[in-house]
Amino acid sequence: MKRKLRIYFPFINAGLQEATTYRANWFFMILGNVLGCFVSYFIWNAVFLSGGNDTMNGFTMPQMVVYIFLMFLTSTLISSGGTYDIGEEIRDGSISMRMIKPISYNSTFLFQELGNKIMTVCILIIPLVLGVEICRTIFTGEIQFNIIGFLLYIISCVFAYLINFFFNICFGFIAFVIKYLWGANMMKNCIVGFLSGTMIPFTFLPDFLEKLFLFLPFASLNYTPVMIYMGMYSGTELLFYMGLQLFWVLVFWGLSKLLWRVATKHLCVQGG
Amino acid sequence: MIYVENLRKEFKKTIKDPGVIGSLKALFHPHNEKVIAVDDISFNVPEGEVMGFIGPNGAGKSTVIKMLTGILTPTSGKCTINGKNPAEDRKNYVREIGVVFGQRTQLWWDLPLRETYGVLKEIYEVPDDKYKKRMAFLNEVLDLESFITSPVRTLSLGQRMRADIAASLLHSPKVLFLDEPTIGLDVVVKDNIRNAIEYINKQENTTVILTTHDLADIELLSKRIVMIDKGKNVFDGTISELKSKYGQIRELHFETDTQNADKVLAYKEHFGFVDDDISIKTEGTGVQVRFNSEVVPVSEMLSYTLGKININDISVKDADIEEIIRRLYKREV
Repeated sequence: MKRKLRIYFPFINAGLQEATTYRANWFFMILGNVLGCFVSYFIWNAVFLSGGNDTMNGFTMPQMVVYIFLMFLTSTLISSGGTYDIGEEIRDGSISMRMIKPISYNSTFLFQELGNKIMTVCILIIPLVLGVEICRTIFTGEIQFNIIGFLLYIISCVFAYLINFFFNICFGFIAFVIKYLWGANMMKNCIVGFLSGTMIPFTFLPDFLEKLFLFLPFASLNYTPVMIYMGMYSGTELLFYMGLQLFWVLVFWGLSKLLWRVATKHLCVQGG
Repeated sequence: MIYVENLRKEFKKTIKDPGVIGSLKALFHPHNEKVIAVDDISFNVPEGEVMGFIGPNGAGKSTVIKMLTGILTPTSGKCTINGKNPAEDRKNYVREIGVVFGQRTQLWWDLPLRETYGVLKEIYEVPDDKYKKRMAFLNEVLDLESFITSPVRTLSLGQRMRADIAASLLHSPKVLFLDEPTIGLDVVVKDNIRNAIEYINKQENTTVILTTHDLADIELLSKRIVMIDKGKNVFDGTISELKSKYGQIRELHFETDTQNADKVLAYKEHFGFVDDDISIKTEGTGVQVRFNSEVVPVSEMLSYTLGKININDISVKDADIEEIIRRLYKREV
């Protein structure tokens, strides 16, 4: 284990350095996400105003605001570019440069991305959590912050990130078959956005869809951590959903290993 | 050291009719065709040898290299390197080899060069003291000092290639695969790289497989050549064997003050050469004639030429390897 960490630690380091190389790119990406976040705030604001009721499917407007910003924070924390990266490496054939090294293909991606993420996490988490907490305090008149809830949220986010990472790796391997992944990736992002509750909370959906979606791996991505943060789950419910997350981590981890084995047997390196 | 037996690799390829209509057709009705990239190739390389692996573009050289380095899995056949099968135990196997693909880089694009070596040190678990010694050695051979702190994306092609070769040698591999290591480089850098490869081969008895289109690389570095074309073995032997087998080409060079010497001489008509067997180049007063000495002996050619026109200076040379290869490639394609 220690040996493994020694091998992969430089990838964290390299990922971090890469992230700092293209600072402007990083900044604009975050800025774009923040703008998107405000757009959905104004849309929901309009929806609540025209609805005339204080609550909508169990959500009050302040809760909706918290939901939107937590969704933004969570999706940024757990985002993973594995699909795109693998797709590109397969498309231009540079995947072979990773294969000539005595290391696990998936792990190099994981650690490189963790390095990339350190900066995002460090810069974003404090202002966003602070902002959300200030909102909640103003709306309800008392401090809602709960350190245990917050820690559970972080753990849940780690699970969610791992699910997302391995799911994206699996999806990226499709590039071995269809060669170029851009279109498929767009489609996947749309579907995942819907199924993970990023676009609308599950309570807005018909009952049977809500139940179905909660069991799909995508709910474990964004929905579960946000619900945990908002204190919607407790006791056995909490244990169940975090257990479900862990279950999906293992499933996609195993699947990615299996697909890698199958894919490399049929690998056809493009170019050169 | 390296045993390759009946190696074969097939690909599926989608055939597309030309133009937009063809693309649309292929979108709905892809028509697949089996392409045999490597067809029954066998060779052995003993330890410490530099083997030149040549063939025209698309012959299947890179595919063979990719199978030998564990990137591709052969459709059938076997290769054993260092007693290991690359397709079965990739992670363990690649520990003992170094690979350079001239058209790609294994360096970390956005990081200073030094960082790449740091990462490689951990990947291959090179101890600190060994790493220091090795870097000093590589620095001496490949002269990395002046750009080791620059990000890789800012390096020139020559610097990048030297850095890439150093990266492939950091862990003192037993076998080194070089796929076109001198592609696109100037004469001086080419020389540097050849010297470095030769030095490392001599110093550490590293087995080297070298593919290249620059035959000077081969002539300077390797005694042994394996040539493939259309996925098949065409030639396997030393350079002198190649010369004696195919090298019946001689080069006649003379200076003359006769105008239009080639027309006056009219070799083709006189001796009945076919297209492939003779080529004439005129440059001012100098004329260069390449001909097949099996069709017409050198002595006959000389006496005919000397008798026909006024010669100031004349010389006859063996054809260089490049000419032989050129003829071989043309004949096969």
